[in-house]
Order: sequence, then C-alpha cells, then structure tokens
Amino acid sequence: MDSVRTDVVDFYIKLGTKVVDASHDQDTTDLHKCVSFICDFTPDLEKSKLCILVAGALGGRFDHEVGNINVLCRFKDTRIILISDDCLIHLLPKAQNHEIHVLSSVVGPHCGLIPIGMPSRSTTTTGLQWDLSDTEMKFGGLVSTSNIAKGETVTVHSDSDLLWTISIKKSQDSSP
Amino acid sequence: MEVVHHSSAFLLPSVAPDHRPSLNYALIVLNQRLPRFTPLLWQHAQLRLCADGGANRVFDEMPGLFPHEDAVAVRNRYKPDVIKGDMDSVRTDVVDFYIKLGTKVVDASHDQDTTDLHKCVSFICDFTPDLEKSKLCILVAGALGGRFDHEVGNINVLCRFKDTRIILISDDCLIHLLPKAQNHEIHVLSSVVGPHCGLIPIGMPSRSTTTTGLQWDLSDTEMKFGGLVSTSNIAKGETVTVHSDSDLLWTISIKKSQDSSP
Repeated sequence: MDSVRTDVVDFYIKLGTKVVDASHDQDTTDLHKCVSFICDFTPDLEKSKLCILVAGALGGRFDHEVGNINVLCRFKDTRIILISDDCLIHLLPKAQNHEIHVLSSVVGPHCGLIPIGMPSRSTTTTGLQWDLSDTEMKFGGLVSTSNIAKGETVTVHSDSDLLWTISIKKSQDSSP
Repeated sequence: MEVVHHSSAFLLPSVAPDHRPSLNYALIVLNQRLPRFTPLLWQHAQLRLCADGGANRVFDEMPGLFPHEDAVAVRNRYKPDVIKGDMDSVRTDVVDFYIKLGTKVVDASHDQDTTDLHKCVSFICDFTPDLEKSKLCILVAGALGGRFDHEVGNINVLCRFKDTRIILISDDCLIHLLPKAQNHEIHVLSSVVGPHCGLIPIGMPSRSTTTTGLQWDLSDTEMKFGGLVSTSNIAKGETVTVHSDSDLLWTISIKKSQDSSP
C-alpha cells in the first residue's frame, strides 16, 4: 500500500471494497500477492476454469515488467494473461499441445514465441509466417519475434516453457 | 581478474573527464516515442543512426523537445548520419528531407532474418576500426515500450553482440548486459539514475551471483525464472559490483527530473 492514495482507499472502502494490506511481505511483488489471493479464493474444482487478466502489466520500469513475467513462471498451472494497450503475453507450459485461437478482429497479426528462463531445444509450430520445425531457440541465437499469425489457429509444442505474445489491434472500441 | 566498468555518464549534461571509462558513443534511434533526454544522447554521440521509423520520430518529435525554437532549425540541427533498416516504416517525406541534408540511407529490406536494430548495430561495428571497438558504446533510444516481441528482439541483440557495449534506453530505465564470469563495477550516478534496479538471468538460469551495493545483495545466490529474479532492488551507494556464472541483464531506473537539453 505504498502507492495507493488515502483518498482513493477511503472512497472504495465506503463502496464496500475489501482492503488487504500486505506490506509486511517484502519478498513478493504486488501482482504475486494478488494472484495468490485469487488462487486461495478459488475453490479447487473451479481452478481449471480460472483465467486471470492483468491490465497494465507492461511499460514503465523494465524490472517491474520482468517481475510480472516471473509471476507467470511461478504460477505455471494458472492461466494468467498480461495485457497492455499494444499486446498480450501468456505462458505456454512445456510438453503440452497448445492451440491458440487467433481472433483476428481483435488481435494479431504480429506475434512471437520466447524461450523464457532457459534455451529451448525443440519447438514446432503451425499457422505462423515463419513456422518452427523442431527448431532450437535461445537468447543469443534465434528467438521468434516479429512473426506473423497467418490464420485462425496457431499450434505450438515445445520441450521448454515459452512466452506467447500477440499484438492487440488498435481499432478497439473501449466500451463494451 | 580485470574489472569491467559501467557508467551512465551519457545522461550527464557534459562528460566529465574523470568519469571512467572514456568511450566513443554511437546513437541508434528506434521507432518509439523519443525519450525526453534524446538531445543529450545525440550530443554525446559521434555517430547517429535512425533505424527505419526512428527517423519519423526524430523528424516529428525533436522540435517538440525545443518548443521555443523554430521546428525547421531543430530538424536541420538534429540530422542523422544514417537511416538503415527494411524501410517499411519510415515516411518518404522524412527520407527525402534527410537525404537533402546529406544523410546516408541504407535499404536492408532484402534481409528478413534480422531486426532493424541488429542491422544498425552491425553497421556501427563494421564502421568501427578494430582498435576502437573496446571504447565503443552504442546507445539505443526508444528500445522499450510498445510491442513486447519488439522489446525481446532488442534484448536479444544485446545477447547476440555480447562483446559490444550496447545500452537500451527508455524514458524510465536503461538495460545492458553483464557478461558472465567478469567482475562488473557499476558506477551509479545518483543525480541521473536509480535507485530502483534489477538483475535478470536472461536466457538461462544462473547458478551463482554475488553482488555488493544493493539493498538486497546476492551472495552466491541462484536466480531463475520461476524462482528468484532480482527485481525492485535498490542501489544503495555509488558503486554496485556484480559477478555471475551466467549472463545477466542489469536494469536501473532513470530519474524523472532530467533536463531534455544538454
């Protein structure tokens, strides 16, 4: 609670918002604390249907961005999507067959696959302009950035955890 | 073991002669909003490149950093030496304007395997005599923000050119590589940077990192994504030292009260 203003907290408390002061815990970021809260709040039976959307996850200080990305890596079994004005990012855990449905009215076509945390010996994709085929990826070598999602579906299978990122289209209405 | 010195002296209004190391700066401007201190970086640089749409940014936004001056005069003064990239973003009117002033335009659109930043870094390295390479420091303005895959592509350029000093710069922070197995000494110029900082094991887990000068120092500590990554750390004094078995990214915040003019 070192950033939120007192007048803001007071306003929302009056409306019934619950305020949880976690300042005693200096080892985890605010995002981590919130994700933990949501996971604790969610009955186990519901966890597979849970998807956490994080607005304002990118931009600003780079170490904050990295801290947010690390939360994706720490909570690998939870669907968490980092969202900014320009793009979204989520984890594709290793050794799973991932199918990404590209809703082209709202996202794409610019996308990328990033070997976060360690090199990836083998990744195979379909549906990208520059598909990977049992391809190695690592920082200092090939990292799939500025790729293009060609169709409605992109599939990914990797031996390593990857970050998937795709651009968000500019012509979004802000109101539902 | 030799110590590798790092300094953000390029953010000071003038490079004081006693600030080690003495470096030759080159500037690359990418296609993001110009950091407010871009004129300062421009002043320090001996070679100024725009990566493709970065030329639009210089043309459009540099006059705004000098609101009391005539826009044309500002544009004439801040003329890039080179515009390089695949040329799919830079506007024709911008290219024509700078060509008339003598800017060299290098169309590298045939090469789809490397980013515009990679092309510009290669150009600068090829342009720099071997004897001068150890003193070269490439500043990259507009390296963060916007699309995340672009950011990652920029960070990967740091990893591909590990032997070259390259510093990614935005309005909020700077990032550079600390290659593994070296004794790094980071001089924290607290009038312009800090205190918020971080160390990031990019590319692979780090078995052992040791630091001094941080609020939460590391001591033969393991770092990896999914575990500990040193973010939201604080640089306590004038010097931070880092030694790691693995390549790390160092990032530190840039103070807001920067003057834009040198």
